[in-house]
Amino acid sequence: MNWDRFASLDRRYIFLLMALVIIIPILVPMNITMGTMRVTQDLFDTVDAIDRTKQALMISSDYTPQTEAENHPMIIALLRHAFARRIPVLINALYVEGAPLLDQALKQVTAEFNARATSHADSIIYGRDAVYLGWQPPPIVPILSMGQSIRGIYPVDYYGTRTDSLALTQWTHNYDQVGIVVAITSGTSPLWYVMYAQPKYGVKVGGGCTAVNAPDFYPYCETGQLSGIMAGMKGAAEYEALVAEKFDLEDRRKATEAMASQSAAHVLMMVLIVIGNIAFFATRGRKS
Amino acid sequence: MREKLPLALLIIMGLFGLAYRFMPHPGAEAFNSYLRDTLLRIISAFALILGLGNLLLRHAHRIQKREQDWVHSWVLILGFGLTAIIGLLGGVAGEGSLPTKVGNFSFNITDIYNGLLIPLGASMFSLLAFYMASAAYRSFRAKTWLAAALLLSAFIVMLGQVPLGYQISPAIPQVTQWIMEVPNTAAKRGIELGITLGVLATFLKILAGIERSWLGSGR
Repeated sequence: MNWDRFASLDRRYIFLLMALVIIIPILVPMNITMGTMRVTQDLFDTVDAIDRTKQALMISSDYTPQTEAENHPMIIALLRHAFARRIPVLINALYVEGAPLLDQALKQVTAEFNARATSHADSIIYGRDAVYLGWQPPPIVPILSMGQSIRGIYPVDYYGTRTDSLALTQWTHNYDQVGIVVAITSGTSPLWYVMYAQPKYGVKVGGGCTAVNAPDFYPYCETGQLSGIMAGMKGAAEYEALVAEKFDLEDRRKATEAMASQSAAHVLMMVLIVIGNIAFFATRGRKS
Repeated sequence: MREKLPLALLIIMGLFGLAYRFMPHPGAEAFNSYLRDTLLRIISAFALILGLGNLLLRHAHRIQKREQDWVHSWVLILGFGLTAIIGLLGGVAGEGSLPTKVGNFSFNITDIYNGLLIPLGASMFSLLAFYMASAAYRSFRAKTWLAAALLLSAFIVMLGQVPLGYQISPAIPQVTQWIMEVPNTAAKRGIELGITLGVLATFLKILAGIERSWLGSGR
């Protein structure tokens, strides 16, 4: 076999192969069963255990459109979980670039639940069930200041409404009324909460991160400083599945839909690495 | 004086930041809140202006000197200027004084965000998959036993991070979790400790006035 051709393979063939293995499973959806990583299950259980009469779920985000594919399904899954359990939700953005994405997520999930609602009490009402606090720079300021007063650092919400006029922010004064902060990130924002807010105010912290950043968070899961994480798109898909199974929801699950593509892409990567190694050793032996 | 005043301010603020953690006095808490919620935000605003000004000056310089790919600098400057004008005068969704709609074509800042920033950002990031595949094919070689061990653990983690791994064997995600929780955590902790000690040493050097390169003195 002529391994020289493989050793100097034009990278455009690799690009083409990668494009095909990503696109085809999206066009031809497949139902793939998967297990649940312990860190995802831990996060789900912590959110699920929030006493909704006393505490809210806080979703904090610093991701940008670059990682929307991985991070956005995490926000959607968390919102579905909270709304299905009727846990009040506070949302804030640590970076301005991702702020409109949170608005889109909140509106999407609110519309999903309200389409099924049969009464006003059953509906998701902005101000009562969820408040989008908006963006306050720099990140360390809201992270620390929310321990003293959420309304103090967010006098108005994302839409310009005074937070002292909203029912939810009237009783959620500080981290004492927050069951867990789940920071969805393309960087390391869950660790900022662990470093600054948790030692001082004792708030529980969870995370949702891109797969490439996941190794940074495992040490903190081990110590219990992070209550759990969604690691990459697989973590998001696992959380989607947990929510859908527990609450019998049939809404679209984008991370789950992408799992077939991701599986195929990973297999292709492995096949390419094996071929690359065989070609390398075959041609090296001949050259030497 | 140009060096002594900033250095004195840094030493005072640094010592306060250090001592504040051990002072439960309400006055210290109030002063810390003032520093954090007011002064830090003012400094951040100036840093933003400085950063943007520096970026624009750098690209203006590139155009002036006709440096390599100087045309790209025009794209940045025009993109920056147009987006700023539309954002400042056109309102968030086109409700401002500047008209942001021509016929059915709308170009307010929300449209720019949804129609340009999100797809461009996602496209840039998705290119990683292609370049990583190409780079892995060319560079990921099991030349030594250590490289082979790295390759093997990479394969297990890659399989464990997708449902296919679970379908092959439910043990694969468990091994992945073990790799992440034990060897990865051990290595990460070592790195984190090293970084933290380095940060602490640098902090002490700056606080003691030994490290002054941040003042522009070159020392």
